[in-house]
Amino acid sequence: MSQLRSTGPAAEPGPGHLYRAPREWTRVHPVSPFLGIWPLLGAILFYLVVSRAPDWVGGGSEDGVTDAINATHLSYFVIGAILLGIIAIVALFGYLGWRFNQYRIGDDAVYQRKGVLFRQQRQARLDRLQAVDVVQPFVARLVGFGVIRIEVAGGENSGIALEYLRIGDAEALRNEILELAAGYKRRGGPSRDSHATDKPLVADAVVGDAGPSSQAVSSLGGVQGDNLVLGSLHGAAAHDRTDRPAAVERPVYAVPNGRLIGSIALSWPTFWLVLTPVWIVVLMVIFRVDVQRVFLAIVGTSLVTAVPVVVGLLGFFWTQLNRGFGFKAGISQDGIRLRHGLLETRRQTVPPGRVQAVRLRQSWWWRKAGWWDVSINVAGYQNDQDAVSTLLPVGSRAEALEAVWLVLPDLGLVGEDGTDPSAPIAEAMESLRAADGFLTSPRRARALDLFQWRQRGVRATDSALIIRSGRFVREVSITPHARTQSLELRQGPLQRTLGLASVEVHSTNGPVKPVAKHLAVADAVALLDAQAERAREGRKHQSPEQWMKAVGLDAR
Amino acid sequence: MSWLNPDDAQWTYVSRRLIPARLISVWLAVVVFAVVFLWLQAYVGGWWYYGAVAVLLVGLWSTWVAVRQVTAHAWAERDDDLVVKSGRMFRRVVVVPYGRMQYVEVQAGPMARMFGIARVQLHTASPGTDAHISGVPVAQAARLRDRLTTRGEAQLAGL
Repeated sequence: MSQLRSTGPAAEPGPGHLYRAPREWTRVHPVSPFLGIWPLLGAILFYLVVSRAPDWVGGGSEDGVTDAINATHLSYFVIGAILLGIIAIVALFGYLGWRFNQYRIGDDAVYQRKGVLFRQQRQARLDRLQAVDVVQPFVARLVGFGVIRIEVAGGENSGIALEYLRIGDAEALRNEILELAAGYKRRGGPSRDSHATDKPLVADAVVGDAGPSSQAVSSLGGVQGDNLVLGSLHGAAAHDRTDRPAAVERPVYAVPNGRLIGSIALSWPTFWLVLTPVWIVVLMVIFRVDVQRVFLAIVGTSLVTAVPVVVGLLGFFWTQLNRGFGFKAGISQDGIRLRHGLLETRRQTVPPGRVQAVRLRQSWWWRKAGWWDVSINVAGYQNDQDAVSTLLPVGSRAEALEAVWLVLPDLGLVGEDGTDPSAPIAEAMESLRAADGFLTSPRRARALDLFQWRQRGVRATDSALIIRSGRFVREVSITPHARTQSLELRQGPLQRTLGLASVEVHSTNGPVKPVAKHLAVADAVALLDAQAERAREGRKHQSPEQWMKAVGLDAR
Repeated sequence: MSWLNPDDAQWTYVSRRLIPARLISVWLAVVVFAVVFLWLQAYVGGWWYYGAVAVLLVGLWSTWVAVRQVTAHAWAERDDDLVVKSGRMFRRVVVVPYGRMQYVEVQAGPMARMFGIARVQLHTASPGTDAHISGVPVAQAARLRDRLTTRGEAQLAGL
């Protein structure tokens, strides 16, 4: 099984290191505990800086810790001993935690066992694989390490996170996981990039890989190797390779950082921020608030207290910028690949058919620019949903449609009198009131839904349900029938008096919650029945878990 | 109620024993509060007995709601999916395909056990699926669970 891949001059172990996914139990890298506790070290460093710095930085002379130490009447020797003891205990726990944290990969699953007192055994079955992410938090990224997160379908916390691996190990593991999960064996690289290309191909790898695409990687390293400069600092040079090559990838779109910043600037938080002087004047003139005193009370008199306030105020912008920075999407045989992040970078791979639902959204501020953002539901992604569920942070209408095509290539409309397959989505995005095949809310829904009733609409194609809504914030959600979990029909007392009902399509956990509100009762009941039938058909025809088998690429 | 009438569905209504099971705790609270209010009336004076009357009215209203809810709560096993309907004021019909069921859970608290009923909860991969059948007689609940599990395995579809 782990017979090495054949051939190619590049496969010979060169001067560099050959990273390989471990078949036997392996520990995470010994540096992990240090990477894990760096916030603590940072806090200590911060305290030292603050306590030595002048008043305007440190905020007055009150030095709580020194006072507290003096109050205990213990000598500095005893205090030092206690501190050393604490450090020793932390170090011991760190060491034990590392020592008992082991993983390995088998043909069917990735296994992890960890825990000192409470042993945990976990396995992530590869036939239920939903996504594999390589995450590099800032500090780990500086020194060339990363976390690999393996998301599988199942209950909460069913995924596996391995913290921390050398980035080469993480990539080797990811490539192997995807290869095994796809259900076919890669016999050398050529099969991967046999299709004719007119666009440049890249591989999602910081370190090179053993396949023939390594030339492409090294030539394009400056483009996609997030760590190239930093990498050379700690020896992850171009000589180092992963055992299995990363699947060759065709870039589909990238979000220019200028546009990203523009899109963040065009938002409600900016609006309120810009209005700040107005608020201050209003407060001063009308409510006679002493603004200077309030300001001092909030911000304080020193840099240390002021910085967190400013950071908190700008937190929204920072989060948006950090997660959308340098956003690139591509498609490969392993599925879609997303790369983004300013300080913390994240490289996601979502295999084909793993996207459960898609939402396109356009806030009122973006209408003039014609921008949309696109989010997806992927089963297994639980935490940190904003960061992982973005398919396109901001893009033109064409790019948004391209993003939808990327994850749902077949919307069941091909061949409908030769029209553009994405036409219904484009129409939904335009929010037309015309007879465009959308089942709309009746006029009497106005009483309950003053602003949106004209925009609400739902349309089923052969393979997906499209729901549009929103007057100010336009939204279009797309749920493939084959991915529908369950259906719900709801009616409150007010809706009943107006003869309305809502239909909700349940998708997996995520930002997309498709619901068609305020339809006429007869329409809603008909939709529920039809949708149940369509979901049944969809389930029958859906692709197998091992996606390469669907296209006959199983070379086993 | 013929609000949703799947042509091939036979609705099975939940056991009426769910009504007392739900109401016992309500009426315990009603009695406790009423006694407290009456005690205050006796020892402090004033208008406390209005409180007792209010609590009593709340109890009666809950009883009416419970009766209406339980008599509207039903499920139907169709060929490919399970349909659960509930509520009168806020009506809900949930359709859960067998192929989407991850697991089936049967719960019975002390009160429910006293009345010999259980609650069958269906779980899919979606947190939005709130499909539960309260007040299924225990024996029937076990059979239902087994039947659902079998059908789920037979039709299980990948995510």
